[in-house]
Amino acid sequence: MMAAGIALVVWSGWKNWSQRRSAMQAQQQDRVDLMPDNAGSAASYAYTDQSPLRGKPAPAFTLLDLNGKKVSLSDFKGRPLVVNFWGTYCAPCKIEMPWLEEFSKKYAADGLQVVGVTYDSEVGRDTIARDAQQLGVTYPILLSTPKAEKDYLSGTDALPMSFYVDKTGKVIEVTAGLGSKDELESMVKETIASGGK
Amino acid sequence: MKATCLNRTRLTFAPIVSLVFILATTAHLGHAQLGMDAPAKPKSTVLYAAEPQSVPAARSSLLELRFQIVPGFHINSHTPNSQFLIPTALTLQPADGVKLGAPQYPAGVPFSFPFDPGVKVDVYSGSFTVKLPVVATAGDHAIDGTLKYQACDNASCYPPKTLPVRIVFTAK
Repeated sequence: MMAAGIALVVWSGWKNWSQRRSAMQAQQQDRVDLMPDNAGSAASYAYTDQSPLRGKPAPAFTLLDLNGKKVSLSDFKGRPLVVNFWGTYCAPCKIEMPWLEEFSKKYAADGLQVVGVTYDSEVGRDTIARDAQQLGVTYPILLSTPKAEKDYLSGTDALPMSFYVDKTGKVIEVTAGLGSKDELESMVKETIASGGK
Repeated sequence: MKATCLNRTRLTFAPIVSLVFILATTAHLGHAQLGMDAPAKPKSTVLYAAEPQSVPAARSSLLELRFQIVPGFHINSHTPNSQFLIPTALTLQPADGVKLGAPQYPAGVPFSFPFDPGVKVDVYSGSFTVKLPVVATAGDHAIDGTLKYQACDNASCYPPKTLPVRIVFTAK
């Protein structure tokens, strides 16, 4: 009798645990990861020191612009370059892009080139072009590819993300997220100054 | 470890007591982790808590869908104040015996990114509830759907996602 009682207690405990485990597993399947690393971080550029590209040659790319023309990294050889990944859904990107436009003109005499790479699989060229136009962006807007994303973003999907490439083709800084305009200009100057005259 | 204990064919009293204790403890922890106020791991996720609900049969009723956003993140509201932003939206599949109304979304709260306080978007953060009008025949029902949302934190944004939802309720 006692053994039967104990067995009943054990069975009920096991059933209870099993049901809760199933519920937890079901809930886990409903979870969506959103890249947590800098969630709620201070409002300053997150310098991604851990980026494997930092200090390395910028990966070569050939991407299409909004007119269907091929644009390659090698087209900008010998010039300081900012490669800015953005998306049409990304509000902080749209705060930053007019600053990049301003600096691309301000430092044009120093050879600065800015290119925007659209990381946006859900919208067409028309939407991208409309957004770029409304932001007053005149620098080249390129359409990303899985290869470019793999080479540059290393699996992250946080936007904006920028890569500062000096005249020698080396990535001297990588930033993620929105920082201040002053910080952005400092990195532009650093990029222009890097790699000699 | 627990499975090993259960597979034993000869159980003595002491291991049984231990086992009952472990199971009871696990059940308690599971309950806490399933609660809306205590996500299992605070690791950048949006959660949907599927809670069985009960409504009157054949009468207009409201189901409640509760979502929780991990601290530090926000998502655009259903009306994000910009045609360029992706609104949070629930898409539901038809279900037998259930007449679905248009989902009722809560109002968002204004949010501005640092360095550009002049631009305010309308967002959800913390938890929010979407209400769903239904008229259902008597019995158990399940409605499947997805919640499309696009999340950002203080400085970065992330691609749009769809979260599967399954609404389980009984009409009596």
